[in-house]
Amino acid sequence: MLIINCPYCGPRDQSEFSNGGEAHVKRPDGSKEIGDREWGEYVFIRANPKGLFYERWVHTHGCRKWFNCVRDTSTDEILVTYRLDEKKPNLNNFKSVVKTPSGEPEVGSGNFTVEK
Amino acid sequence: MKSINLKENQFIQFHQKISFKFDGVKYFGYKGDTIASALLRNNINLVGRSFKYHRPRGIYTCGIEEPNALVQIISEYSEPNTRATIKKIYEGMEIESQNRWPSLENDFGSINNLFSPIFTAGFYYKTFMGPHKKFWKNLYEPLIRRAAGLGKPPKDFKGISNHIHHNVDVTIIGGGLNGLLAAKSFINSNYDVLLIEFEDRLGGIINNSNKISLIDNKEPKDWLKETIQEIEESKNVKILKNTLVTTYNYINHLIAIEDRFVGSKPIEGKVNSTLHKIRTGHTILCNGHIERFLSFQNNDLPGIMLSSSFEKYMCRYGLSPSKEPVIFSNNSNSNSLVYSLIKAGLKPKAYIDSRSGEEIEPNLFDLIRKNDVPLYTNSQIKGAFGNKKIEKILVEDSSGALNEIKCDCLCLSGGINPDVHLFTQSKGLLDWDEKDLTYKPSKPFQPTITLGSASGQFNFDNLNSEINEKLKTFKVKKLDVKLELNTNTKYNIEKLWEVSPQKKSLWAKSFIDLQNDVTTKDIRQAITEGFDRIEHLKRYTTNSMGTDQGKISSINALGIVSDLLDKKVNEVGTTIYRPPYAPLSFSAIAGRNCYEFYDPERKSPIHSWHIKNGAIFEDVGQWKRPWYFQINKDESMHDAVQRESKNVRENAGILDGSTLGKIEIKGEDALEFMNLIYTNSFTKMKQGSARYALMLGEDGMVKDDGIICKISDQHFIATTTTGGAATVLGCMEEYAQTEWPNLKVFMNSITEQYATFNISGPKTREIMKKAFPNINFSNEKFPFMTFQFHEFNGIPIRILRASFTGELGYEIYIPSNSAPKIWDNIQSLGKEFGLAPYGTETMHLLRAEKGYIIVGQDTDGSITPIDLGLSWMIGKSKKDFLGKRSLTRSDTIREDRKQLVGIIPSNKADKLEEGQHIILDKEIKSPVPMLGHITSCYYSSTLGHDFALAVIKNGHSMIGTKAYASTSSMSTTGVDIVKPVFYDEDNKRLVS
Ligand SMILES: [Zn+2]
Repeated sequence: MLIINCPYCGPRDQSEFSNGGEAHVKRPDGSKEIGDREWGEYVFIRANPKGLFYERWVHTHGCRKWFNCVRDTSTDEILVTYRLDEKKPNLNNFKSVVKTPSGEPEVGSGNFTVEK
Repeated sequence: MKSINLKENQFIQFHQKISFKFDGVKYFGYKGDTIASALLRNNINLVGRSFKYHRPRGIYTCGIEEPNALVQIISEYSEPNTRATIKKIYEGMEIESQNRWPSLENDFGSINNLFSPIFTAGFYYKTFMGPHKKFWKNLYEPLIRRAAGLGKPPKDFKGISNHIHHNVDVTIIGGGLNGLLAAKSFINSNYDVLLIEFEDRLGGIINNSNKISLIDNKEPKDWLKETIQEIEESKNVKILKNTLVTTYNYINHLIAIEDRFVGSKPIEGKVNSTLHKIRTGHTILCNGHIERFLSFQNNDLPGIMLSSSFEKYMCRYGLSPSKEPVIFSNNSNSNSLVYSLIKAGLKPKAYIDSRSGEEIEPNLFDLIRKNDVPLYTNSQIKGAFGNKKIEKILVEDSSGALNEIKCDCLCLSGGINPDVHLFTQSKGLLDWDEKDLTYKPSKPFQPTITLGSASGQFNFDNLNSEINEKLKTFKVKKLDVKLELNTNTKYNIEKLWEVSPQKKSLWAKSFIDLQNDVTTKDIRQAITEGFDRIEHLKRYTTNSMGTDQGKISSINALGIVSDLLDKKVNEVGTTIYRPPYAPLSFSAIAGRNCYEFYDPERKSPIHSWHIKNGAIFEDVGQWKRPWYFQINKDESMHDAVQRESKNVRENAGILDGSTLGKIEIKGEDALEFMNLIYTNSFTKMKQGSARYALMLGEDGMVKDDGIICKISDQHFIATTTTGGAATVLGCMEEYAQTEWPNLKVFMNSITEQYATFNISGPKTREIMKKAFPNINFSNEKFPFMTFQFHEFNGIPIRILRASFTGELGYEIYIPSNSAPKIWDNIQSLGKEFGLAPYGTETMHLLRAEKGYIIVGQDTDGSITPIDLGLSWMIGKSKKDFLGKRSLTRSDTIREDRKQLVGIIPSNKADKLEEGQHIILDKEIKSPVPMLGHITSCYYSSTLGHDFALAVIKNGHSMIGTKAYASTSSMSTTGVDIVKPVFYDEDNKRLVS
């Protein structure tokens, strides 16, 4: 179970939070003409990278505030959490391991406990 | 195997006899005994039958790694698969052996041993592939089910487990020598430290062997006593005993289970176990090592035991399982057993070592020579033989000659492995040590430190330097412990995984996994059949897939595979050890979240009235809602619903609607926000009016509905479906924070603050007038879809004129605390008008007659407002709202979408059912094009026949045509597709 640092409450157990998928996905402006493709991508398409990922969480069983974070999906490490009104951090500031903890090959899902 | 009690032992109270029963026979043990040590004391060596071949099995180890001695504890609600080697006995304990019939001595299933050549690797999978399907059902499945298995399922027992959370800086796992030294370093430091020991006492190897002679010039047991006292007296180190760490998760999150009834019978209703959930800064693994066995013919016979386990029985339990065991080893770890035996005045019948004479430790050599122990160097055991117990062994000596040795006990040592289970659970990497022939922790993935034999330090030379170096980051005091040993210090091992049998035979068995009955032959066969990847091989042969996860044997399997494939062990890799380290009960995991606490029950303020008045309840989410009210015990649900619905249509009914979600929305920009959340436009709506509204997902599909009351442009109250309340509030909060943070708006749930009564029926106005005499309920003063605030006897109430039944209706919102009083009042005042309560089933029937949908029943997340024929609810002039753009996606404007229609049977006497498919042909000929299905279906006493709502392809244009509903008996019922409204289409009654 992760520990998540709520920008408003501080570090709390993951069980208090809910995940909200990819962060910084802009909702198209409804007052303008929106193409099928643009809208379709907003509704249905999300990134699913292995490695660093901007992600939204909400402190459901706490302050109920939404916030953003950078999580390494290959290690589950949450590198930083920040408020919605804060600028998104540059991913170059973080070391991306893009490798699962057990040192598995970059592509594929085998699980090895020995370094390959 | 004849055991003897050793005179003195600090852990066993020889003056306290304890009686227990094994397979119905009464025996005695002593206080402090495990089941295994007590059985060995009584010379019982046959303890169970094996999983697959029903071979006789005994006690192989003296700890948690035990693969064989699993027993059923009858006196504890028949708890199965209990490891006899760790479970302590108590007075009156009843134990039964497992997997045998009719008895342990004469087990019918042992016939499987005769058929064993067919039960080889992959047998189970191959049965699926047989030529005839009947074979599986009639032969293999019953056969496998009857023959395989361990214990029987336990009986009902209400065990209670507590969960305790810890937040510490350092957790030390294992209270042996290294764990104690690490804990000692932290004494009176600024760190909060947790020291966790699985056994009921600290000390580990100091208690379990004679390896160490002096610590800091003191007797080990005296040093131990002083050290434990120091730790106990410290303010910052907490000790948990009888606690096993089973799981090592991400972010140093550990799960440990504490047994609260060690050496006594668990009491029902008391806390039997505590689950510790530990969050720690650093984890220090001092959980030691596990000795492994060796494979040769019949290496599973009762009387064969690991050598360090034998020594543990001597040191820890004051018991020598045999007076003269034979020892077979390929390494130096068994040296101390020879020392212990001789110290106890016993001696090994023979010492057999696969190593050459030059490699054997000089100390051991001297000891063996001095005591005239027959020594076989460069020798191997080809097999063990005997009837249900070991009687003799066959030794091939250095010259290749075969020697038969009679014996009643054989101690094995195939080397030792660091106990890496928790380390690999933490995602740390292992590395193969070619010299010590084992996997050792190399790169930790988390802040994990390994010490002592858990880190692969099998010698004691580096004890101080390892601890001082690895604990440097903590800046704690440095250690300088002086250790003197009784035996050699350098760990030495020669490669030996398996000795091939003397005679090749289909029935000769050298086991590689005792718990799952996997033989070395199975490994060979699996590789021949192409399963040469270690993870495939594991699953195909089931090697190391038992509850012990192959603790004493999985490394041997890797060794054998690496030899067969001619690869390095590191290239073969290792399978992953998975949590839990050892089985733990579901009740421990569930903790207090069970029985009445499993899921909270939510009850309306009127709940107790419902119970008194014959309500039968239905669960709606967590809510208990009256489903229908029985006027007497004999009234069926159908009769009750018809009676209730008729009464609403003719007189008046009252429904407890308190469970409906209620959300209050306030703020300068509340109007703009509501316009964005719901499909409807609230801009032109008058203050004090209400509107039925729809909420969509961004994909354009209906997510929820409700009634919105507009108090002002800055203040709204929305109702939601009972089940959707939390989701709707969550959705509002999400959009308010993430998409429109510029809007000044706040929202809050007021569901539980207000009770809601829905009164409807032609006589409702009379009842309302009588109940609230000061309020004018005329059509002019109180029109349909408006609401008013009033005070009634000092209680603030809100009355909304709305209806979900199609009749004249009012909803009364009352603060929950005052609700029962007003409810009672209305009940008594309404009697003369025939007012009667009704439940959710009647509500469903009445609303369906009007064609009102229920989100989640008539919709399923793939239905748009247009599909429902509710286009009028869409504020088309609004610039934006949730899901607006999706209503013009190519998919949502398709013509053949499923759309809501009404269905009535062409022959009014015919019955319909929810879930029936609507098809076009009377005959069912596959493939049948499916148009859609019936979502709601009821019998209406008002109409006098069944009617239904359905979603079917292109339904709107099919209204007025005929179709068929398929039945489960492959026939069809003719139906008419009609408009989805069956009663008072012009809403005359609604606005009357
Ligand atoms: Zn928070």
